[in-house]
Amino acid sequence: MARYGMLIDTTKCIGCYTCRLACQRQNGLEPDEAFVRFEDRETGTYPQVGVEHVPLQCMHCEDAPCTKVCPTGAAHIGTDGIVQVDQGRCIGCLYCMAACPYQVRVRNSKTGAVDKCRFCHVSNYENGTEMCTCVTACPTHARIFGDLDDPDCELVKEINRTHAAPIAGDLTKSKVFYVR
Amino acid sequence: MSENAITRRSFLAGSAGVAAVAAGAGFLSFNAWEQADARGTSDIDHYTAHSLCNSCSSKCGFTGYVVDGKLGKMIGDANHPNCEGTLCGRGYGFASIAYNEDRLTDPLKKNGGKFEKITWDQAYSEIAEKVKAIIDEKGPQALAMVQDPRPSGSYYTKRFMTALGSANVYTHGAACNMSKNAGFTQVIGTGDFTSDVANSKMTMFIGRSYADAIKPSQLHAMQKAHENGAELVIVDPRLNNSIAFADEWVPINPGTDLAFILAMAHVVVHNKLYDASYIAENTVGFEEWADYLKDCTPAWAEEITGISKDTIERLATDLATAAPAASIEPSWRGAYGCSYANSGETARAVCCFNTLLGCWNQEGGAFFGNSVKAGDLDKEKFPSVPKPEGKIAGADEYPLSLAGMGVNVYAAELAKKGEIKGMFFYNSNMVAGYSNPKYLEDCLSNLELSVAIDIQMTETCQACDYVLPDTTYLERLEAPEFIGGKIPAVSLRDQVIEKIHPNTKPVDEIFTELAEACGVGEYFQFTVEELADAQLRTVGLTLDGLRVAGTARFPEKTFKFGKTPTWKTPTGKIQFSSDACHAAGYPSVPQWTEPVASVPEGDGYFRLIGGKQAVHTHTQTANVPALMNISKQYNLDRVWINASRAAKLGISEGDEVEISNDEAKGTAKAHVTERINPEALYMPSHYGCSSKDEKTAYGFGLRQMDFVPFRIEPGYGGICSQEAIVSVRKVGA
Repeated sequence: MARYGMLIDTTKCIGCYTCRLACQRQNGLEPDEAFVRFEDRETGTYPQVGVEHVPLQCMHCEDAPCTKVCPTGAAHIGTDGIVQVDQGRCIGCLYCMAACPYQVRVRNSKTGAVDKCRFCHVSNYENGTEMCTCVTACPTHARIFGDLDDPDCELVKEINRTHAAPIAGDLTKSKVFYVR
Repeated sequence: MSENAITRRSFLAGSAGVAAVAAGAGFLSFNAWEQADARGTSDIDHYTAHSLCNSCSSKCGFTGYVVDGKLGKMIGDANHPNCEGTLCGRGYGFASIAYNEDRLTDPLKKNGGKFEKITWDQAYSEIAEKVKAIIDEKGPQALAMVQDPRPSGSYYTKRFMTALGSANVYTHGAACNMSKNAGFTQVIGTGDFTSDVANSKMTMFIGRSYADAIKPSQLHAMQKAHENGAELVIVDPRLNNSIAFADEWVPINPGTDLAFILAMAHVVVHNKLYDASYIAENTVGFEEWADYLKDCTPAWAEEITGISKDTIERLATDLATAAPAASIEPSWRGAYGCSYANSGETARAVCCFNTLLGCWNQEGGAFFGNSVKAGDLDKEKFPSVPKPEGKIAGADEYPLSLAGMGVNVYAAELAKKGEIKGMFFYNSNMVAGYSNPKYLEDCLSNLELSVAIDIQMTETCQACDYVLPDTTYLERLEAPEFIGGKIPAVSLRDQVIEKIHPNTKPVDEIFTELAEACGVGEYFQFTVEELADAQLRTVGLTLDGLRVAGTARFPEKTFKFGKTPTWKTPTGKIQFSSDACHAAGYPSVPQWTEPVASVPEGDGYFRLIGGKQAVHTHTQTANVPALMNISKQYNLDRVWINASRAAKLGISEGDEVEISNDEAKGTAKAHVTERINPEALYMPSHYGCSSKDEKTAYGFGLRQMDFVPFRIEPGYGGICSQEAIVSVRKVGA
């Protein structure tokens, strides 16, 4: 059984929103339904200034707080460790949105149900989009997807090489790792 | 699509004997064969088609996946030279424009200030009647066309106007890259060059951001250069997002790039860091320029540019040391495409400086790629249209401007004067984007005939008497797009989805039928399929073949580094000095000249600068909800103000500020940042839509052009898009 995860190298991120827009198109999301959220930061003073863009999305936590508060079991951890939302079981109570420390869950304005990054496992089954769209779409190749349990995969090698770490330390057991 | 269905056999027949296709390594994958089969067989609910994105003018190739008639996923084509397999976010988002609720669906006519639906027949016959009346009264030169070039649009608009006898076919160029291209032309005899960024040891970007105005292949090249350890420098009043792959930000005062380049040239010439034999063999006017440069010391430029003399000295020396694998990148609209009264002269200085580096056609330097064009077509089917007698209006008044673009704003001025009586606009929102909107609206109001052809109700549509609804780029086949470069290519915008609104028409049909109505239909007795196939056959390809491949390359025309090009200037040399510039009232060699607009004494004055954001292009993308949602969520309409200036004015992050000058007044939220030169106020170039029929875009943010006075750069014809001073104060303070 794979344990899917991702690396996001913010030193390559130009803040262009391509990951968000590609995700919306390939997954058929509403225009206001975005699975990637961005934080921008500037450091230093004029003219010695640094810029950092940090794309945030579901971290597919192994101890996902959203699943613990969901009253119907709609939010759950599925196969391969991917945190999922069973759209049919979601009653739109939004507890999960309040519980998510990364604030990356969004409500679908048409159905009222909550959704978030799925590591593209749905589209992967349905029409052949690779897991994950944001990884293949990123014009600067800032993202790597893979199996955290496979020491030979590019993801694990890069995490080890770059000492990538979850964005908020051990706040949750996140499976998305950041180079900053 | 079913009518485009092709079988493996027809593809083979179409491409048999085509060296370009056969040799284009790897671009016909096994998957492509499978897709070709799928399209030719039963599964017509699921199919793919190749198209070219229309979210900016890079026109990246992609494969559209259509399910039950609707566009689903899009995959950038790996063999397309502009995207190399990755599209930008704008491209993904913009594709939904086909389904936009504000699409134009029927021909419209203005009646008492309001638009009413009319039939195509009525539109054609009334437009044709007015065209004929204008020609009878004032001749065909009283007609003009303005268009933002796309493959079919360029072909059909030009052919239509030529058939009517008018030479007045303008692109958006004067409001984009005219000054740059025209300035380059005076020095090197051609309007453009490419920096070989990927292989460079050093590249300097002036007012250009590959990470904000994205063409993915350029971004890839910059990233590669960065990873190779090249020295990449950004010269820009604003710290743009390309800094991710650059080493240094040079926060220059807006409008002073020319002084900066002259001072760098001073360093190279004074310290004899150039190749004297290269200069002697290839150039004219060097002594004259070198003489002028004596006074352009780094200390002199420090006063003007705000960049320390040490930095200027160091960067000039670094460039000369890295030469010939170094260049100043050509830039585009931002710094000197059409920005200031000194933009054309800045462009000349850039080419002169690159000449000092001896970088032309050197690996890692700057080069002129190869191109492939369609050859002559069958004269029976595609008869030549006689060349109009007149010159494009503005060619004499702006002698350094390029006739292939034309000074579109001069045409508007002629409309105001009553000398141009009829204007057509295709895929062009001139009113909102090309200069001061109020002024342009006034120009257009004086026309006897004004026709806009577009997909949405732009400000230009609102200013016209007739509006004709085009199909979107996803709903039509277009003429092939030929792309120059290291390996030239040709690419196809094929029809991806069926027409959504039945009463819209593709551009080729509109101009064919308009031509018929105007009595020049004899030049349009062919379909766009026939045109595309005929053009492709002249280069050994076929329409059916390219429908499968999407893009074909011409490896036999691969550009090779090392050979000095033939300079297509009047002297046959690189021209440090230009007689044409001298005749147009400029010094014969590039010299420092200030922007026209000067900053008054006082605390609250700024130079207004524009610039692209990665999710938008000009004014054409703001009505797309997927893109505009980003602008709204992240407050991308904020104006950027330097933190120390803001503090002096009592302005904090997010404060409402009033921006005003003689042209306009408006309020916006402030983004207080260290990322901008203290003299500059940055206003993104995409917002402030004033057309109520574009419901997503309407009323969001301010429009930069509202604050810019109507002005045309002498000689070159650029619109001086940044010759504007504004005063800023906190609302309520």
